[in-house]
Amino acid sequence: MSNNILTQNDIQHVDYKDIDLLKQFINPHGRIMARGKSGLTAKQQRAVEAAIKRARFMGLLPFIQK
Amino acid sequence: MTADEMVMDTNETEVADAVALRIYEIGYHIVPDTKEEELEKVVGSIRSEIEKAGGSFIAEGAPSLTKLAYPISFREGEKTVEYDRGFFGWIKFEAPIMAAQIIEAFLKQNKSFFRHIVFQTVREDTRAKMKAPQLREVKRTDVIKQAPRRVEEVSAPVSEEELEKALQDITTE
Repeated sequence: MSNNILTQNDIQHVDYKDIDLLKQFINPHGRIMARGKSGLTAKQQRAVEAAIKRARFMGLLPFIQK
Repeated sequence: MTADEMVMDTNETEVADAVALRIYEIGYHIVPDTKEEELEKVVGSIRSEIEKAGGSFIAEGAPSLTKLAYPISFREGEKTVEYDRGFFGWIKFEAPIMAAQIIEAFLKQNKSFFRHIVFQTVREDTRAKMKAPQLREVKRTDVIKQAPRRVEEVSAPVSEEELEKALQDITTE
């Protein structure tokens, strides 16, 4: 079974305010997971990427974490 | 089609583009020094600006004090201030294309907001309905932790005689 969180939970849109969801797609350093690891489709990966970058800009997620 | 007609045609499409409605969302951080009573006034100023630009509201999130993932520096006149928290709120609305630019400019010049974002989105609710599975797992372990906790036996006060009798029983055995 795939580990695609978005498909499993039937999530159509990714919102930059859903920090708990987005945190599952970043590693402990705050970097965005690669598609191979996140298990997302290309379209979903782009949406997650955009959302994480918006959340970073708004100070909701870190750019880097030591 | 003559050249004049073509010019007219392009003008018409430009006008149509400017009037065409789009869904936008704005997110903003209000400076944390703002008093709670004044927040409504600050948010009201954005709302009136959106209405003035011909927008109609779809959804809104009231500003709440949020801790930032990193300190954001903001230039307030002469000095630079670093904020580690802010009142984060958002508004989703439908507006003509020009309105987005007007609102962006308004947020930029207003010193009450130290960070803002304006982007195009969809009408549907985009918030995920699920809770993070990691959080759910944490809950499950909590339940397990609580389960083995036994109710302590409440012993009634034992009289001296009974105690001595019990002791004797043990020693005679």
